[in-house]
Amino acid sequence: MKLLTHNMLTSHVKGVINGYPLLIKATEVKVNEVEFNPQFVSRMIPKLEWSALIQAAEGLGHLQDLPGTPIENYENDAEFLRKVHRVLLEVEVIEGSLQCPESGREFPISKGVPNMLLNEDES
Amino acid sequence: MEEAASQLERDHVHSVYEKIAPFFNDSRYKAWPRVRQFLLEQEPGSIVADVGCGNGKYLHINERIYKLGCDVCRPLVDSAGSRGHEVQLCDGLRLPYRNACFDAVLSIAVIHHMSTRERRIRALREMARTLRVGGRIMIYVWAMEQKRRKFEKQDIFVPWNPNPPLSPRGPARRRRRGDGTQSVSEAPHDSGEKHRTVRSTSSVVEEEEDPAQQRKQKLWFFSRSLDSVLDFSSLSVSRSSSRDLSAFCSPTGETRGESETGDCTPLSRGRGLIRQVSSFFCSSSSRTSLEEDVFVSDPQDQLHTAENDETRTGNETVSIALLQDGSTVALPDLVSCQREQGDSGELGQDGQERQDSPVSVQQDQEEEWSKEKLKESCLRYYHVFREGELTQLIEDHVEELQVLHTCLDHANWCVVAEKVHVWRV
Repeated sequence: MKLLTHNMLTSHVKGVINGYPLLIKATEVKVNEVEFNPQFVSRMIPKLEWSALIQAAEGLGHLQDLPGTPIENYENDAEFLRKVHRVLLEVEVIEGSLQCPESGREFPISKGVPNMLLNEDES
Repeated sequence: MEEAASQLERDHVHSVYEKIAPFFNDSRYKAWPRVRQFLLEQEPGSIVADVGCGNGKYLHINERIYKLGCDVCRPLVDSAGSRGHEVQLCDGLRLPYRNACFDAVLSIAVIHHMSTRERRIRALREMARTLRVGGRIMIYVWAMEQKRRKFEKQDIFVPWNPNPPLSPRGPARRRRRGDGTQSVSEAPHDSGEKHRTVRSTSSVVEEEEDPAQQRKQKLWFFSRSLDSVLDFSSLSVSRSSSRDLSAFCSPTGETRGESETGDCTPLSRGRGLIRQVSSFFCSSSSRTSLEEDVFVSDPQDQLHTAENDETRTGNETVSIALLQDGSTVALPDLVSCQREQGDSGELGQDGQERQDSPVSVQQDQEEEWSKEKLKESCLRYYHVFREGELTQLIEDHVEELQVLHTCLDHANWCVVAEKVHVWRV
C-alpha cells in the first residue's frame, strides 16, 4: 500500500464519524524506486489531504524534511516534487495494519493489500 | 431481506469467483475497448478507482493516472496485488474511501451481481460519494435484451463454463483463428470500430453456423428476484410449479439449518426457492421434462410480455431450463465477441475472449480435472438489466449522478455518468 492510496482510505465502520486518516501500524515497509514524473506529482498535490500525508510519512519515519503545508509555487520546484514523489509513490507498507482513529478497529495489511472488509455488525 | 440478499451473493457470486479465480488469468479475459478508451481519456494526474476490479485487468492501462482497485474476492485481489497494483479488499456497498477523492470510477460487470434493487442503488450511491464533482463513472452491466434473443427473466443463475468453446486444442480452429481474425486484445488499435470490423469478417466457423449447435440452448436458471420474493403479496408460488420442483428436487451436498418445507418465513421461502433451483441444476438426474427454450426467439413478441420486477404477481413461477450438453455450449462471458457475424448477441457479455495463448497439453489436462470439479458448484447470480433500467435507477435514486451517455455494447449496457453538485434548499 502506497501512501498515496492511504491518503484516500478511511474507516467506514458504522457509527464512526471521524474515521480519517487511518493510523498506520507497519511491521514491514519497503522503499522502491519509481519513475519520477514531476507533472504527475504536481497534479496530485491539490487532491491530497496534506496533513494526513505528513502524519503517515512521519509515522513511518519517512518524513525527512517535508513541510507541514505544500510550499508556494511547488509546481516549479523539482526538488520539492521529488520529495513528495518519494513519500507518495516509493514508500510502501507491505505488512501491518490500519487503525481507525475513532473506534480503534484494525484493518490488516498483508502483501501490500489492506483488508477493509467489515464484519456484519460493523456495517 | 438483507440477510437473504447477502447469503445469495455469498453463495452465488463471491464463493464462485473465489473458486474460479485461478482461471481468471486465462487470456480469454481481456479489457473492453470502451473501458480502455475511458481510462486513456482521463487527464494525467487523475486518480481512478476500479470498483470490482477482479484480477486487475484494467489497472495497467494509462501510466499517467493513478489507479487503485478493490474487490470482495480475495484470490482475485491478491492476484492483482502480486502484479504490483494498488488494491484493497472491500465491499462495494461500503467503500473505504473518503468523499470526493476520485476523478473517475469504473464499475465493470459488477452491480449486476447484486441481488436486490436496493443494494444496486447503494452501490451506485457509494461510488458517487467517492467521485469528485465533475468526475465520471463508467458502468457496465449485462443487458437483458440482445440482438437476436432475450433473457426471459431478469434474475438468473448462470453456470460457469470452464471450457471456452473454441479452445486451442482444435488445430483446424486454431489455424482458422490465425487467419485474420483477431481477438480484441490482439488488434493493433483497441478501438470499438476495429473490433466490429474484425467481427464481421471473421472466418472462423462459429458454432452458430452448425445446426446441431444451434439447437443447443444455453443454460439459465431463473430465480425470482429477491425484491419480489420478500414482498408479502407475492409469496405464493403457484401450486403446479412447486409440485414440479419438489418432484425433481434432490438433496444437495450443502447442508443448511432449515428444511425446504418446514420453515415458512418469507426469508427462508426466498432462500428455499433459490436453493431448490440450484439443487435442481446440480442433480444430474433431473434432465427430464422441464426443457423450455429460455431464450425467446423473437424479441419483439416478448418485449411486451416481459415481466418487470415491480409488477410481479402473486402467481409468479420459477421456470427452469435445461441444457442437453452443458459443457460445450457457448456461454456469454466466455465467447469472443467475434462469434456472431454482425451480431453482438449474448456473447462476450463480460468482454471475455477465448483462450488465445497456446496452452501446453499437460497444463490442459490438469486444468481439465480441476475445472470438472468446479463446474457443478459454480452458478453465478445475475440481475440482467432492461433497456433504460440502469439510467432510470440513477435518475430516480442517485441524484448526485447525471447520466451523460448510454449504449449497448455487445450485450452489455454501458452508462457513463457525471457527478454533479446537489443543491439543497
